[in-house]
Amino acid sequence: MSGERVPIEATKTCMRLMTEYYMRAKMAEQTDQKIAWITSGAPVELLYAAGVIPIYPENHAALCGAQKKAVDYCTVAEEHGFSRDICSYARTDLGAIYKGTSPIGGLPKPDFLLCCNNICGTVTKWYQNLQRHFDVPLLYLDAPFVHGEATPGAIEYVRAQAVDLLGQIEELTGAPIDQDKLVETFRLASRATELWQETLDTSTSRPAPMNSFDTFVHIAPIVVMRGTQACVDYYETLLAEMKDRVAKGIGAVPGEQYRVAWDNLPVWFKMGALARKFAERKVCLAAATYASAWAVEINHEAEDLMRELARAYVTVYINLGLDQRVEALCAMVAKYALDGVVMHSDRSCKAYSLGQYELARTLTNDHDIPVLVLEADMNDSRVYAEEQINTRIDAFVETLAGRSAAA
Amino acid sequence: MISEKLSPMDRFEAVCADPYGLARAAAAQGHRIAGYMNSQAPEELLHAGGYFPVRTFGFTDGTQLADGLLQSYACTVARGALNLMLSGGVDFLDVMVFPHTCDTVQNLTDIWKRNTDQMRVFALSMPVCMTGESAVRFLCEEFGRLRGFLEEECGAITDDAIRASMELYERHRAAMRRLYVLRRTNPGCISAADVLKVVLASCLMRKEDHLPLLEALVQDVEAREPAQADARPRVFVAGTVVQRPEYLAAIEHAGCVVVDDELCTGSRAFNFEPVGCDDPLESLARMYLARPPSPSKHRPGFHAGRYLVGRAQAAAADGLIFLLTKFCDPWAFDYPHARETLDAAGLPSLLLEIEQQPPPSGQFETRVAAFAEMLCANRKEHE
Repeated sequence: MSGERVPIEATKTCMRLMTEYYMRAKMAEQTDQKIAWITSGAPVELLYAAGVIPIYPENHAALCGAQKKAVDYCTVAEEHGFSRDICSYARTDLGAIYKGTSPIGGLPKPDFLLCCNNICGTVTKWYQNLQRHFDVPLLYLDAPFVHGEATPGAIEYVRAQAVDLLGQIEELTGAPIDQDKLVETFRLASRATELWQETLDTSTSRPAPMNSFDTFVHIAPIVVMRGTQACVDYYETLLAEMKDRVAKGIGAVPGEQYRVAWDNLPVWFKMGALARKFAERKVCLAAATYASAWAVEINHEAEDLMRELARAYVTVYINLGLDQRVEALCAMVAKYALDGVVMHSDRSCKAYSLGQYELARTLTNDHDIPVLVLEADMNDSRVYAEEQINTRIDAFVETLAGRSAAA
Repeated sequence: MISEKLSPMDRFEAVCADPYGLARAAAAQGHRIAGYMNSQAPEELLHAGGYFPVRTFGFTDGTQLADGLLQSYACTVARGALNLMLSGGVDFLDVMVFPHTCDTVQNLTDIWKRNTDQMRVFALSMPVCMTGESAVRFLCEEFGRLRGFLEEECGAITDDAIRASMELYERHRAAMRRLYVLRRTNPGCISAADVLKVVLASCLMRKEDHLPLLEALVQDVEAREPAQADARPRVFVAGTVVQRPEYLAAIEHAGCVVVDDELCTGSRAFNFEPVGCDDPLESLARMYLARPPSPSKHRPGFHAGRYLVGRAQAAAADGLIFLLTKFCDPWAFDYPHARETLDAAGLPSLLLEIEQQPPPSGQFETRVAAFAEMLCANRKEHE
């Protein structure tokens, strides 16, 4: 099917959900309800079970980026002595804090912070700075990086810390966490995660009903509301719509010809332009390692829930070594029947990006998968070389066309 | 061969001029050589296994080979080390150990492993959070895993062998601490560039060979007369890795005198003391976790700024120079509040970004000279 792109209905619901989420959090600032700032890879289930409102500076930074406001805040952080070479999410949020504003009027102040380093070491440093700025407790979950397989010692280490973490949260809220509520929160989280994975899986269809530019929008609830009924409800709606689009043959990219994966964070300030660019070339970004990063299965019926939490949170995609990433990328290419991989070499994210050249080389040489590496940044538009990137995308699509003609 | 007749300092200098000459020669004679990436490595274990431990510094002309595998926004410590390996500079290594530190080293570990079949590579996980008994247990287990990895090649490493290595290393650290005490009390008794050469050589020689030379050097320095009231402003140097003595020479040439440092190629490698436990691995683990946290670590309540102020004041420094390697995120995140805390304590500071391969630029020295003048003016004001 070709022609006009059919918009995804659920996008409006997603936007409404996120607006309500931020409004509720803002209102809670005046109440006794506790607010915690949390890293995107941390076990938010513990906060929801304890009745604490989680706030995601990373999501907020992405929001600033998508509204093309990030550089304004980055500049403020740089004036405060932060190097232009560090993570642009951190600079965006720190700048917004110093400036006392943002597109949503700033984030509600935290009562405490929860940092888990399973996404990068940068959050450790970022949250240390937040701790000093707000002078509130910093709860820390140290999830060792996994080269090969997670060792029993690493799992036990995280389990022991998770148990401590529960105690620390209880102390801060002044109330014990109800065990049933905890299990129920994990049940809801694991249900939402399943639905999210199923939603992503609908893109194995040809044409794919949604592409990565869509998933980068619809990813927000799974990140920030994982463990709530609202999150489950939302993904039931989204999944139903995607199944309907598959049944009707509605593709994210009208006239889809090529299917590729996106690796790394989005380029938030260029989402629209890049979506158009790829769509014009009939390229659908049918899968993304970033979107799959929140499809980690957790068994809420596990006998030792904290051990299960440890296992799940230690083995998230970005906490795994390059051997595992090669496997995951190859599996993704096979599952979604992809023609290639686009890698965003994100200057801001060393944890995600360093190693991509090796991945690209391996995919190309050992697995005959074409790879395009784009040098950019998720939030800092000052390092974005528009023409160069467009030229490279065009050349890549020509490669894909050549391969498909030869096949 | 390095002549036995040279003075200790000349010997160290000769080692720095041919960094991997000794290790290569030892390998040719059949000795096992173990490389390690940074000062977090439990060298004692490598030593106890009979290995000659050497630290992999990017002492190369550039990073051309590494640039194909690591983006330009990876620091030159990482790119330099990778370049060293890719150019065959350390092809004599039997094993290479990567203690986990930052995001860059985390990925460098796998890139390295996937690009060599000359050596076995070990990724040593280390707690980022340096408190709590669970961290001790985890680190003990990691050290145990490393021991097993080495034993596959070198045979059983006994507890006694580990204890003996720990003793040797503690003697060595004590001698280094002594050298630093001498410098603090009588700065100028040894130049900062020479101190760095001593440290670099200690990473490139066997400790049992380095120690007697170091002890002789300490004796010699002790005997030196205090300099006639050194009028140069006293600076404390902080940063990650400095592998080129020229940077420190430029600082002193520009009119400052270095009194102490907080560098990975400096005090951080020996500014801690042994912890006694029955199990030597537990002693090692507790000792490593009790170290002052490097910027890539987390310790609740630790304040990098106040720590630096304390260290600088203890050394009676007039100011502090940050020598931060470009793209070193952990330090870049610590810098703003460290600077603020220094300012509040009345300690002026200067930020200088450095790269590991090229020597310092002329501008580097100009900026230090301006800083030195400012420190002198400050001093006069307070007199």
